[in-house]
Amino acid sequence: MLFLAVSVTAYGQDRVVTGVVTTSDDGSTVPGVSVSVKGTSRGATTDADGKYRISVPSGNVVLVFSSIGFQKQEIEVASKSVIDVRLINDSSELSEVVVIGYGTQSKRDATGSIGSVSGAKIAQMPNQSFESGLAGRTPGVQITVPSGVLNAPPVFRIRGTNSISLSSYPLIIVDGVPTFTGNYSAGNASSNPLASINPNDIESIDVAKDAAATAIYGSRAANGVVFITTKRGKSGKVRVSYDGWAGVSNTYRLPEMLNAQEYLTFKRMAIANNPNASTTTLTQTNDANGNPIDTKWQDQVYRQGISHSHNLNVSGGSENTNYYFSTGYTNQQGVIRKNDFERLNALFNVDSKLTKAVTVGGKISYSNEKNLAATSSGSLNGEAFNTGGLGRLAIVLPPILAPYNNDGSLNINRDNAAIGSSNNMSITNISYYNPTALLALNRSNSEVSHIQSNAYIQVVPFKGLTLKSTYGIDYLLVDNDIFQSPLTGDGYATKGNASGVFRKEKTWLWTNTAQYDRNFGGAHNFSLLIGQEQQRNTSRGFGLNRQSISDNAYTELQAGWANNNYTNLVYGENYLLSGFGRLNYNYKEKYYLSGNLRQDEYSALGVKKGTFWGASAGWEITQENFWKNAKLDNIFSSFKVRGSYGKVGNIGGIGDYTPYSTYGSGLYGGSATLAFSSVGNPNLKWETSTKSDVGINFGILNDRITGEVAYYKNNVNNLILYVAQAPSAGLPSNPPQNIGAMYNQGLELALNARVINTNNFQWTSNFNITFNKNEVTALAPGMDVLQTGTAGLETVNQTAPGYSIGNLWVVRTGGVDPATGKRIFINSQGTKVYYQYYAPSGQYNYSTTPDGLTRYVSPSGGTSITQAADAVMYANVNPKQYGGWDNNFKFKNFDLGVMLTYQLGFNVYYGTNSGLHDQRWWNNARDVLTEAWMKEGDTDKKYAKPVFNDNVSNGSSMPLDMNVFKGDFVKLRNVTLGYTLPSSLLTKVKMNSLRVYVSGQNLAVLTKYPGPDPEVSSNGFSSTSGQGVDRNTVGNSRTFTFGIKAGF
Amino acid sequence: MKKHFIYASIFCLTATGLASCNRDYLTPIPETSVSDASAFSTESRITTQLLSVYEAMKHGNFYGGRFVIYGDIRGEEFINETSNLVTGSDVWSLNPTNSASSVERLWQYAYLTINKANIFIEGMEATGNTVVGNDAGNRYIAEAKVVRAVSYLSLLQYYARPYADGNGNNPGVPLRLTGIKGTGQSEIARSTVAEVYAQILKDLNEAEAALPATYSTSNDNTTRAHKNTAIALKTRVYLTMQNYASVVTEANKIVSTAAPFTAPTGVTHALQPDITTIFTNYTTAESIFSMPMTANAGDNPGTQNQLGYYYSPTVGNKEYSLNPNGIIANTGWTATDKRRSLLATNSGKTWLNKYKTPTTFHDYVPVIRYAEVLLNLAEAKARSTNSVDAQAVALLNAVRNRSDATTTFTAGSFANATALINAILLERRIEFLGEGLRNNDLMRLQQTIPAKGSISAKAPTENGYIWPIAASELALNPLMKDN
Repeated sequence: MLFLAVSVTAYGQDRVVTGVVTTSDDGSTVPGVSVSVKGTSRGATTDADGKYRISVPSGNVVLVFSSIGFQKQEIEVASKSVIDVRLINDSSELSEVVVIGYGTQSKRDATGSIGSVSGAKIAQMPNQSFESGLAGRTPGVQITVPSGVLNAPPVFRIRGTNSISLSSYPLIIVDGVPTFTGNYSAGNASSNPLASINPNDIESIDVAKDAAATAIYGSRAANGVVFITTKRGKSGKVRVSYDGWAGVSNTYRLPEMLNAQEYLTFKRMAIANNPNASTTTLTQTNDANGNPIDTKWQDQVYRQGISHSHNLNVSGGSENTNYYFSTGYTNQQGVIRKNDFERLNALFNVDSKLTKAVTVGGKISYSNEKNLAATSSGSLNGEAFNTGGLGRLAIVLPPILAPYNNDGSLNINRDNAAIGSSNNMSITNISYYNPTALLALNRSNSEVSHIQSNAYIQVVPFKGLTLKSTYGIDYLLVDNDIFQSPLTGDGYATKGNASGVFRKEKTWLWTNTAQYDRNFGGAHNFSLLIGQEQQRNTSRGFGLNRQSISDNAYTELQAGWANNNYTNLVYGENYLLSGFGRLNYNYKEKYYLSGNLRQDEYSALGVKKGTFWGASAGWEITQENFWKNAKLDNIFSSFKVRGSYGKVGNIGGIGDYTPYSTYGSGLYGGSATLAFSSVGNPNLKWETSTKSDVGINFGILNDRITGEVAYYKNNVNNLILYVAQAPSAGLPSNPPQNIGAMYNQGLELALNARVINTNNFQWTSNFNITFNKNEVTALAPGMDVLQTGTAGLETVNQTAPGYSIGNLWVVRTGGVDPATGKRIFINSQGTKVYYQYYAPSGQYNYSTTPDGLTRYVSPSGGTSITQAADAVMYANVNPKQYGGWDNNFKFKNFDLGVMLTYQLGFNVYYGTNSGLHDQRWWNNARDVLTEAWMKEGDTDKKYAKPVFNDNVSNGSSMPLDMNVFKGDFVKLRNVTLGYTLPSSLLTKVKMNSLRVYVSGQNLAVLTKYPGPDPEVSSNGFSSTSGQGVDRNTVGNSRTFTFGIKAGF
Repeated sequence: MKKHFIYASIFCLTATGLASCNRDYLTPIPETSVSDASAFSTESRITTQLLSVYEAMKHGNFYGGRFVIYGDIRGEEFINETSNLVTGSDVWSLNPTNSASSVERLWQYAYLTINKANIFIEGMEATGNTVVGNDAGNRYIAEAKVVRAVSYLSLLQYYARPYADGNGNNPGVPLRLTGIKGTGQSEIARSTVAEVYAQILKDLNEAEAALPATYSTSNDNTTRAHKNTAIALKTRVYLTMQNYASVVTEANKIVSTAAPFTAPTGVTHALQPDITTIFTNYTTAESIFSMPMTANAGDNPGTQNQLGYYYSPTVGNKEYSLNPNGIIANTGWTATDKRRSLLATNSGKTWLNKYKTPTTFHDYVPVIRYAEVLLNLAEAKARSTNSVDAQAVALLNAVRNRSDATTTFTAGSFANATALINAILLERRIEFLGEGLRNNDLMRLQQTIPAKGSISAKAPTENGYIWPIAASELALNPLMKDN
């Protein structure tokens, strides 16, 4: 047994106390814990196995156990000779270190606004990438998981939406190297490159929010910066740890649809109400077993997904060299059939101190991800109205159609791409596909190989000065394999369709920094950083698309096809050349000042060079004598007032050649052409964010309660807008201009408390809330509004000065007329207009009287209600409040975590709802049976008199206010119950620690939203101005997992 | 300590030495496109740019598809089968709104073409002619002017009152004659119909003077403008303006006085013996000007713009069937007429099957063919002489007999000039079914658009006889006035 340090001073009647120190997280032992006798200088340290041995004097002795990253614990020795201690992780404490960009800083010294999340908090959640786990963890961070499609990037916002045309996604820095964000799939699977980072390998996530914390990233800082730090080895014995879980996922709150009998009754009634459709017949036939067909299409589309994940890591080190090696495998099934995610990854980190002055190290990470899908889910950006969108097919198809014919073959129409319906319906224009066939025949897979690596050398020529040079690469290679069968669906028109698409994104980064830390006179602490950095990205992509298959049995791109064409060509490059500096100063850890400066030159701008800065100041009042004199320091362990101001930029998402006007190539009957194709702007520059932030950070009762309050405001100017010119000007694209303006302001509040803190029972509680207000203040001349369409077919978001971005823009309704069952619209003037789909002779579709006899004439002379003429700015889609509440309980060896997240004060356009009540042959939600007007005197009905083919009264033909709902929700995001086996038991099986747990995600949703999930987004993560739309989107899933974490 | 300084020095030297930045990366040169500064710098860039002016016209939203489709479905020959707004059900119903995609896109793509022509003409005048020489340069400019003229003529057919309504004094469309490459040039008022026609004729006249008589390949003779193209188009322009004397003058340049009718100079245009040849062999001497297509990506009309997709029952989506009460019901159009072989029956309905290349539907799209010039001349002769003109009858017979040898008209077949004119108009409906001419034939004579299916007739005085102006133009061009 090796003792690293033992006090040897002898006292009379001394006796020896021994024991093992473990963590309350997982029961693993903790080396290097300082053990001291309170009030004396006696001390010892735990060894590599967490064991200690200390001699204590007789009498009433108290042992103090302390270690960085854990709460200090004091235990009375009394007559015990063996004292095992379980230390509690205090990741929330101010003593923590935060990553600040090109360095770290003690959180106590930080004057910028930074939120930190420990990797352990998200490691065991069954997510594909870490961001989904950040929801509710730290104030200012808003995460909306857009759909139930696996590996779809979440809508990730820090302190609101800060751009219109460019990205609003934060900059993600992984171990010092910026990485790719977004969706790099060319098909129907989603491929978020952040999924390459195994959540198990993440040590910490630090979120920089204000100008002071982000300015060091200059032109890319406007949306905040997220620093991911992966795990590194610690000196000591080799540690091996295994983490694994397995689980099941299911859908929840799916709409309840009509069954076959209800469908027939209801639709036949609707047919009877429309004399023009009187020849339409619906027939129920029998299946192969002689039972009437009654298909639950949702069962054809959704499944119970089974997932599992395994991670093994080995870490350790000597005095001079530390290493961390990890490998992981996960295979996850989504709730949509054939939507799978499979990742195989490895990470190796090493740091080696060559001499006293020189340290070298680096990391290499490789990840291979398979993002699999058969066909469109209808849930990713642009897919909402796909005829083959599975989310849509699950609700639109009538239950009287069957997935299979009675001979066992797939039910498809031989004359078009659609499902076969001729036996059951006399309607000829059914264009929707059979999802069972699509799932059986098609595929749309994306495979990612992602290499993230860096190497550094660090030299400390003398105390205080650190020189560091880091070279990093991030290579993202994406390979797509898409096949659409010629038999049915999207591949029908082209007689089959296959694509192979390859994309290669390569970034290299070289950073050189010099940092000098010096204390003068024991009071003045300086830390100066200067650095230089260059980053280059190149993009290449190409694809082969083949159509007209030679043999229907073929399913591969390499088989025989008649037509060959290119697809998905990508070519780009950009370069960012930067110099930066930072000066941190504090006087006796009482007064703090910091300044950050960065100059960026970026290739994709017209005006290349920009200078960005942030300054902050802090005052730790507890260090003041008057505070101490007032005995306030007995209550407040810390109380810091801080403020920051600065100017940063946004260039995320600018095309590589945007400043240039260019001529592109095309074809004219096989001959090459060259045409003016892109209008540039040689004066294009970054978008500017002027950020101010004022806050208080405090700790009460020895940091038993900590908290922070911050007010922030971000004024965004020079927003790049692609300003449309009159079409008669004949420009091939809209020229980009720095012209719009917007702001976000708000208040963040976070409270963390160790509510109960005894050796056997602990309860910690972390609550945070963010209040945010977004308002667009200027667009461009001639551009009064900016409309954002959903999948090119429906426009429900309209951005206009004076409103928050992407406001819902819909036509108002006034219920259903109790006497006639007609939908009442409210026109632009506030007048009621009665609508009937079928207008008998002498009557009108749109009438100002319920009897239909008075033709409606709009102020501009139109005779119908239209969105263009009558829609109003109706409701806000951006949450006014959001946050989370995390509670962790520990009782002896049991632990329980309960995590709630919430978003409040926003609205969602439930476009799906219009489809659910469309009176064409589409199936309907069951509430039509009770909520549709049936007879005179039916009051307060939601839906108009069912008239076959009516697609106006329900909102299919234009967005209506009746389909807008409050989205406010509180979700029981995560509940985990764990049990840590006692170490006494484990030593016998040579294990260091073992914890088993069960966990549930999205167990309950408290909301008035009628759809499956208010936390969705049809327009996806990348849309800044198109949030708050739920159009045929597959909701999030509910997942139960069982897991093991074992240490050896 | 000394050792540490050595480390530090080595480190610094290496770091600063290797990390010296590459400032060239800050001004990347686009490798997949050409900068506007050098677009006219080489002969190859000039010739490819010239073809891009045609390419713009060929776009599926313009002459490569929808312009031609709208020209037919506005009329009475087709029945909409799918009620799909995306495929022009509102155009067919004669009630598209200002923001309808048909109204917006045709406007947009026609002006895109016009701007490309303007940029090309200006660029040639500024630098291009010195690169390729004035001879070639002026020929190229002339080609661009033909495209510009066709584009303006196309716009007038939908967005302005017919010339005959007030002799062109009604609002036409904005006349843009300079290339636009940046912001700030949105505002422009509408010129009158007459002013736009004057510009169309100016372009065509200048083009006729400068264009080559022929090209070396039959493909170029069909897909690029030559002298006879400009002349043929002028017969259409003048006919649209009801300037029949000028139709005769122009047509006489390219139509011999007696059958068999051929063009005496330039490309020897003539009718093909079998009309069906034209829709399989796209570059015969009958096809004066057509939009070429291939199966290559981007070289065909694109999704839901293709003629075959709209009409064909065998390869298309059957968007429009033929109106059983339309021209196909005409008993004078005999069952053995070769042109009936371009129809097909399917699901109990009759369909147009002129365009039947399966996906990617890369049939060439006709702009003007010799048969039209003959019938333009025939009609102009009959109208200008107000008699049963012998050459007019002969021209009509040339078109009819080619497909139907059993029907031969004589002067005695017609009671008067009106009867002859009506026969010619009827022949146009048969001959050019699905070639986009029907709308203009109704408009130029200010005829009521006949009823079809569930859609009632539309008189010239009624709202919807011409299209409204695109909503985006009204929003972004304050000087623009709606129809």
